Amino acid sequence: MCADLSRTQRNLLVCERSSFLDEKNRVSSQMEQLRFNYKVSVLLPEYDSASSHLESILNSFSSFYLIKQLPLYELLDKDFLQSAVYQGSVYGLSFRTRIDEDNCVALMPNGHLVFSLDKDAFETLGLEGRPSRSNRTSSRYEVTVDLRDGSMAPGGRGYLRLRRALMSHLKLQMDFLISHHPGGGASLRPLLSRCDWLERRPEVSRHGLSRLVRPALRSCDPHDLLEWIGAVDAAVSLENSSNDFLSTLTCLEPEATVSRAMSMSACGLLLPQDLQHLVEELRCYLQQAQTDSWASVTVHGFTDSPVSWGDGGRDILTGGHDLYNLLMFPDHTYRLHLAAGAQKTCPP
Amino acid sequence: MRAGAEEAESSGYQRVVLKNASPHHYLKVRLVLEDESARVSAIDLKTFITSCLRSLFGEVGAALNVDVLKYDEETLTALLRVPSRGLVKLWSSLTLQGFYQNRVCAFRVLQVSPFLLALTGNSRD
Repeated sequence: MCADLSRTQRNLLVCERSSFLDEKNRVSSQMEQLRFNYKVSVLLPEYDSASSHLESILNSFSSFYLIKQLPLYELLDKDFLQSAVYQGSVYGLSFRTRIDEDNCVALMPNGHLVFSLDKDAFETLGLEGRPSRSNRTSSRYEVTVDLRDGSMAPGGRGYLRLRRALMSHLKLQMDFLISHHPGGGASLRPLLSRCDWLERRPEVSRHGLSRLVRPALRSCDPHDLLEWIGAVDAAVSLENSSNDFLSTLTCLEPEATVSRAMSMSACGLLLPQDLQHLVEELRCYLQQAQTDSWASVTVHGFTDSPVSWGDGGRDILTGGHDLYNLLMFPDHTYRLHLAAGAQKTCPP
Repeated sequence: MRAGAEEAESSGYQRVVLKNASPHHYLKVRLVLEDESARVSAIDLKTFITSCLRSLFGEVGAALNVDVLKYDEETLTALLRVPSRGLVKLWSSLTLQGFYQNRVCAFRVLQVSPFLLALTGNSRD
C-alpha cells in the first residue's frame, strides 16, 4: 500500500472583502486575535510625503523588554500580577525556544499562561494538561493556567500548586520577551526589578522599489495576490518566462506598472494596538491619495508561539506561522487574507 | 454620512475559507557542503535538485517543475517553489541526498509554507 505523496499538511486561508464603513467589518477584532506579532511590512506605491510620516509611526511603536533567563515562577509574583496581569494587557513570550524541540511559554493579555511542553517536562511539572495532537503518539503537551481565575489568586490552592511546580518540580528558566499595554515598562517594573533585562525597540527598515508590475489587486486570485506580495517583499524577480530554466515565476494577470514604491518593515514584539494605529494612519493617507492607489500591510506572527489565532493552541510546527495581509483602497474597501499555520485553528 | 452608507451597502461583505487550496508550496533551503570553499551557482543548484529528484523518483520525479526563486551564493540559501502535489517528493529527495559531485553534503530545510509571504518574516532568523 503506497502512501499518497501528493498530500500536504492542512492549510487554511480566510479571504474577506468588505468596507471599513460596513457594520459587519471586524478588522480590528481580527487583528487583536493574533496576539504575538513579530514583523509588520508595509508596501505603498508612488510614495512621496508619506514615507517620513510612516517611518515616524513605525518608530513610535511601543518598546518591549527582553528578560534574560527568567525563572518562570517570577511571573507569579503578587506585585507583578497586580500591576500587569490584572490590569491592562500583558504580552509575554519565550524567546529563542523552538516549538518543536524546546519548552515554550506564552503569557496572554487575558491572563492565560500557556505552556507547550515535551513529555518529560509535562510529567515532571505535574499539572493538568492535554496532548497537542489528538492521537496517542503526541509528544507535546499543552498546559493552560488562567492567572485571573479565583483559584489562582495569590495564596489560593491553584496558585500555590503552580508556584511549587515551577520552583521545585520543574525549574523552567528561559529568555522572555514581554510588553504591556497601556502601562509599558512602568507596569512591568515589579518583574523587571528582579531580573536581568534589556529594553528593546522594534527594528525599522525601508527600501525603495522601482518599475513594479502589479496584478489586478481588486480581482486577482487570493493565492496569486499573496504570492505577488511575497515576491515583492522577498525581492524575488518576477520577470521570467515559462521556458526559463531557473524560475517560471511571473506576475499573473499584470494590470499596471508602478514606477516607484516603498517597502517598510518593523520587527520585534509588536502590539496589536500599535498595528491598529498604523492601519488607521494608512487609511487617512489613502483618503488623500489618488483613486487607483492602495496600501498593503502584512503582519507575521511568531513562528515558535505556543498560541495560534485567538486562544487556539499550536501543534508542532508544520505549515508555517500565522500571518495576515490587509490590502486597503481609497474608497474604504479592503481585502483581508488570514492564514493559519497550526493544524487545529481557523483564523477569526 | 449618507454617501458613506451607500458605499457600504454596495461593497457588500464576503468571506471565503479556502482549505488546502494553495497551488504551490515554498521552501527555504540551505545546502551545507563539507568543503565550505566550494562554489555552487544557481544553475548548478537547479541541476542538482533535478538530479536529486531523478535519483529517488526517476524521470517522473525529475519532471516536477521546481523554481529557484532566489539564490544567495554566499550562504548557499535558496527559495524554492514547487507544486503542492510535489512537495513531499521534493522534500524527501533533498533530505536523502548526501553527495554533491562526490563531496559530502546535506540540505537543511529551514522553512516550508504554502505562502511565499511567510518566508519573508520568520522569527527564527
